[in-house]
Amino acid sequence: MTSRRRTRLRKARAPVSLAEKMAAPGPGEYFSVGSHVSCITCLGQRLQGEVVAFDYPSKMLTLKCPSSSGKPNLSDVILVNLAYVSDVDVINDRTETPPPLASLNISKLANRARTEKEDKLSQAYAISAGVSVEGQQLFQTIHKTIKDCKWQEKNIIVMDDVVISPPYQVENCKGKEGSALSHIRKIVEKHFKDVESQKSMQRTQAQQTQKDSSLSS
Amino acid sequence: MKPQAGGNRKPGGSNSGAAAASGTGGAGGGVGRQNIGRGRNNAKGPSTAVALSGVYANMRMVHVLTSVVGTKCDLKVKNGLIYEGVFKTYGPECDIVLDAAHRKSVEPNVGPRREDIVESIIFKSSDVVVVHFKDVDLNYAKKDNFTDSAVSARLNGEHKEKDLEPWDGGEQHISGSMESLDTDLSNGWDPDEMFKYNEETYGVKSTYDSSLSSYTVPLERDDSEEFLKREARASQLAEEIEASATYKARVALENDDRSEEEKYTAVVRGERELHSLNRENKYIPPSQRNREPGMSWGAGRQNSPRLVQCSPGPPAPRSGPHDYNAMDQRVVNGGAHPWPSRCPSPSSRPPSRYQSGPTNSLPPRAATPTRPPSRPPSRPSRPLSLPSAHGSTGPLSTMPKRLSSEGPPRMSPKSQRTPRPHRVASCRGGGPPPPDYMSQGASVEVSAPPPTRNSSSGGTWSSVVSGAHRPRSPRQNSIGGGAPSPSCLSSPQAGTVPVDSATASTTATSPTAANPATNLEASPIEEAKESRVLEMRQNSPNANKENVKPIEASASIARSIGKGPPSMAPDHRKQIDNLKKFSVEFRVSLISLPLCVFRNSEKSTVDSTGPKVPMESTISEETSTAVSITPTGSKSATPSLSPSSAVPEQKRGPDVTSQGFQTTSSLANAAAKDKDEKEEKNDPVAESVRKSTLNPNAKEFNPRVFCSPPKPATTPTQTRPQGQPSPSIVVQQPPAVYGQTMFQMYPLTPVSPGVQVPHMTMSQTKPYRPGKGENASLSEFPNMPQQRPDQHHPPGASTMMHPATAAGPPIVAPSPAYSTQYFTCSPQQFASQPLVQQMPHYQSQHVFSPMIQGSARMITPPGHAQPSLVSSSTTQYGEQTHTMYVSPTPIPQQFPHPSSTLHPHPQHPQPSATPTGQPQQGTQHGGSHPAPSPVQHPQHQAAAQAIHLGNPPQQQMYSALAPTPPSMTPGPNPQSPQASFPSAQQAVYIHPQQMQHGYNPNHMAHVQQAHMQSGMVPPHHGTPSHPPTMMLMATQAPAGPQPGTLNPIPVSSATHYSYTLTPVQGHHQQQL
Repeated sequence: MTSRRRTRLRKARAPVSLAEKMAAPGPGEYFSVGSHVSCITCLGQRLQGEVVAFDYPSKMLTLKCPSSSGKPNLSDVILVNLAYVSDVDVINDRTETPPPLASLNISKLANRARTEKEDKLSQAYAISAGVSVEGQQLFQTIHKTIKDCKWQEKNIIVMDDVVISPPYQVENCKGKEGSALSHIRKIVEKHFKDVESQKSMQRTQAQQTQKDSSLSS
Repeated sequence: MKPQAGGNRKPGGSNSGAAAASGTGGAGGGVGRQNIGRGRNNAKGPSTAVALSGVYANMRMVHVLTSVVGTKCDLKVKNGLIYEGVFKTYGPECDIVLDAAHRKSVEPNVGPRREDIVESIIFKSSDVVVVHFKDVDLNYAKKDNFTDSAVSARLNGEHKEKDLEPWDGGEQHISGSMESLDTDLSNGWDPDEMFKYNEETYGVKSTYDSSLSSYTVPLERDDSEEFLKREARASQLAEEIEASATYKARVALENDDRSEEEKYTAVVRGERELHSLNRENKYIPPSQRNREPGMSWGAGRQNSPRLVQCSPGPPAPRSGPHDYNAMDQRVVNGGAHPWPSRCPSPSSRPPSRYQSGPTNSLPPRAATPTRPPSRPPSRPSRPLSLPSAHGSTGPLSTMPKRLSSEGPPRMSPKSQRTPRPHRVASCRGGGPPPPDYMSQGASVEVSAPPPTRNSSSGGTWSSVVSGAHRPRSPRQNSIGGGAPSPSCLSSPQAGTVPVDSATASTTATSPTAANPATNLEASPIEEAKESRVLEMRQNSPNANKENVKPIEASASIARSIGKGPPSMAPDHRKQIDNLKKFSVEFRVSLISLPLCVFRNSEKSTVDSTGPKVPMESTISEETSTAVSITPTGSKSATPSLSPSSAVPEQKRGPDVTSQGFQTTSSLANAAAKDKDEKEEKNDPVAESVRKSTLNPNAKEFNPRVFCSPPKPATTPTQTRPQGQPSPSIVVQQPPAVYGQTMFQMYPLTPVSPGVQVPHMTMSQTKPYRPGKGENASLSEFPNMPQQRPDQHHPPGASTMMHPATAAGPPIVAPSPAYSTQYFTCSPQQFASQPLVQQMPHYQSQHVFSPMIQGSARMITPPGHAQPSLVSSSTTQYGEQTHTMYVSPTPIPQQFPHPSSTLHPHPQHPQPSATPTGQPQQGTQHGGSHPAPSPVQHPQHQAAAQAIHLGNPPQQQMYSALAPTPPSMTPGPNPQSPQASFPSAQQAVYIHPQQMQHGYNPNHMAHVQQAHMQSGMVPPHHGTPSHPPTMMLMATQAPAGPQPGTLNPIPVSSATHYSYTLTPVQGHHQQQL
């Protein structure tokens, strides 16, 4: 729990026999909900998390792990096929009875699925249109703040009001003068500022690593 | 998708959804769901397998996978490739479906190209190694997103509980600040302070202007005269506005201190008595209910007031019941075809009218004037017994009410009637009865005195009572064999009983009076073949218009009735055997021979009514009822009633009568009837203007009476019979009102001559009537017609109507319904005991009836014994009746009463023709008179008891009695000379029919009442008339034509007819 490990042990890639997998569930045939389990996939990926669900017939195990992005209110969910897992280990068993299942808003989930799909397709459409990586990144950044943005060829249309054309710089933001345009410009400006800082960071880091490596070597 | 949906549903916890099958996971928690899923699966059949299959059976797996639907995920397959897509759904085998999936490239930041993206990819679970959903909000789809638990669950991750730090009171702060807050009286910041602070701190300059010059213009005050005027004007307007109710109401809306609970939820009583009466009825105690119900029944609001009035009178518990009884009686009378039957001739009609009048608003009104006079006399007594509205003030008002709302009134009457009967019965009965007697007796006595008074006022009364009593007693015996018998039984207490009877008679008379009027006009109308309703209406109108004639007729009838009933009650009981003689005597005493005939007819009618009354009375108080009945019978029946009875029949069931006439002899009969009626009417008129007035009312009342009879009919089985019984009941009630009217009528007695003539004719006609009515037993054509009319009038119409309207069911199966009703009633009020007793009584009664016929006296004793029992039961009935009113039961009780009354009558008549009837008559006579009374009394009592005891018994009794009663009534008095016995028998038959009709009438009455409520006077008439027609139909096929008019009634009537047709005896047998 405390430690979320998603270490990729490519070394362990050595596929584990199905028999082993089957036998893997060592301590008991079933994983009780709420217990913490760790395992290593056939691809050498180490997985650990809290058991949310386990379906014995299909050998499917669902684990809940702390969010990889570190966000506290989010979590990662891993669906593992125990047929391709080895070294299954129960770290600790369930301490409490699992909470009752809350009813789900199916329509909400369906909408999310549709929206996500559209967004991805939209993004892919832009990429396929030859939009530069910078443009894509800018689009993603803007999209985080303003959902109402879309690709029109290589131009980014925000709120049907502001058009950002390549190379997507602040001066490329055009549209009706107003708070909207100024607001978009601020976002764009900040985006590139952040990108620059990141690049510099990466550069420095790369340099350092290089130095380190050179030193070490 | 479906699977998902299903899965979703399951996760959601909603067991519904075909997919729910997934719910049946292996998970322990899923057991329940599994079961559910299985169940569903089973139901669905094919889907079950799917539902249960694979992952879908795992509740938790379904839940978690569904929770991540719509999120991006990386799916790693066996070969190490990673696909990224939007998790769309999953299959039962945990196949994964990704939308817009693409194979993840090595380059991290490069998005997929459009061409790289696949619309959707389905990954078999066997190919999937790991599916990684990143940054998923598992609470995203939770429906309880905003519950405390959900919210706290979210925050828990981010916000660790803060450590609470104790507050030291902030001494380090300005110590004075706290105090300053306490001592600072200022209400926050002063505007100026705020402005100043803002200006100093933020450099903001406020543009606030206290004069609000931007929004308004300052008022320029000056001392000019104009300004002062305007100012004064303004203030004045302000005062006016503020003083207006509208303003206050609106202000009250805003400033209403009452809580919502008070305004909308709390049950506030006492505000609307009138309106609430109905409501109150529900809440009112049984005893009160009785009173009120009648009122409410009678005429909703009006009734309620009346009821209130009545209630005051009744205050005494006994009185209350009595009142009720009176009410019931009245109702009975009103609905009581009995009256009509009794009065089949003119007199009967007048009564019927009166009855109807009470029930019918129109007649009542017209009658009311006359009634009041009559009431005053009777009131003394009535008030006691009838304190119920029916009584003095009540009577008039109640009558109108009833009229207004026939249905309700009837109902109330019924209830009242029943109560009365019960009481009466109780009185008659052992211990309870005495008290009742006492109370009732008081009332009865009072009523009796009134009669005497009336007689004094209208000489006829006294004469009738005294002289007539004996004669009448015979007559009564014959007529109100049932009633007389009760009276006879009660005779010991006869004093009181007679009084009751007198009251009843008075009431009956009133009905009769009404009948005459109705008969007079109605008969013509009938001849015209106008619809019954029309006739009824016309009758009522005629009655009103022709108040004089009707009044006269009614008066004559009333006289006869009044005289007859009071004296008759006692006398009749004993003199039942000598019904013929009595009838003759009555005739002689009361009027001339014609009168005697009329009397006979009246008696027959009266008897029918009387029987009914007896029934009621027996039910309530055998003696009292009997007395009342007998009185009514004697009164109404004897003098003008006989004629009137025929007339009343015609009137009441103008249609019926018309039908009957048509059917029977139609032509001659009708003409004779009409003539008779006319004559009777004339006679009545001659007899007493008062009566006439009453008669007019009576006419209207008659229709209503029919309606009201229906109430009596409420006593299901009896109703039919009771149709007449109801009349009898009505008679009882009427006695109070009618009695008064009757008394008034008596003064008019002079008319008797005319009456006599009519009677003469009537007598002939009467025989026909009996014949018709009694076709089965005695078929004297003349009597038949008359009887038919009588039947129609009395119970038939009213009762028929009541059953039909009031209780459709009863109509369908009149006898059964009644029986059932009775039973129900009996069970309820009577409790098991009453029923049992009733049953025995019935049997015994039946036996008695035969016995009585054979040896009426012998039987009588048992009957008496039973009566006593019955009386007790009757008392109960009284209650039951009340309840009955509320429900069907009341009707049954009423019916019983009517039937009982009818029975008595039948008995009286029958004695001559039918053994039972004769014996009964004899008994009745004995009851009224010494010798006959026994038999009659027994029978009557028995019948009454039977009735009282149980509806079924009553019915049986009725059936048995019914035949007898008709014979009794018709035979003895009217037909006595010619075919008094036959007629009597016929009358008896009629009674059965009437009984049946009575039932129907009861139902009809209910309907009528309903109509009344609606203010449908015509309907009432129509309904009443219909019942009569029905009666006629039953008796004779001829009714056919009339049925059309009777439309409403038909069904009920048909059933009734069937019943009626099915010999009453048959019914009895069946019942037996």
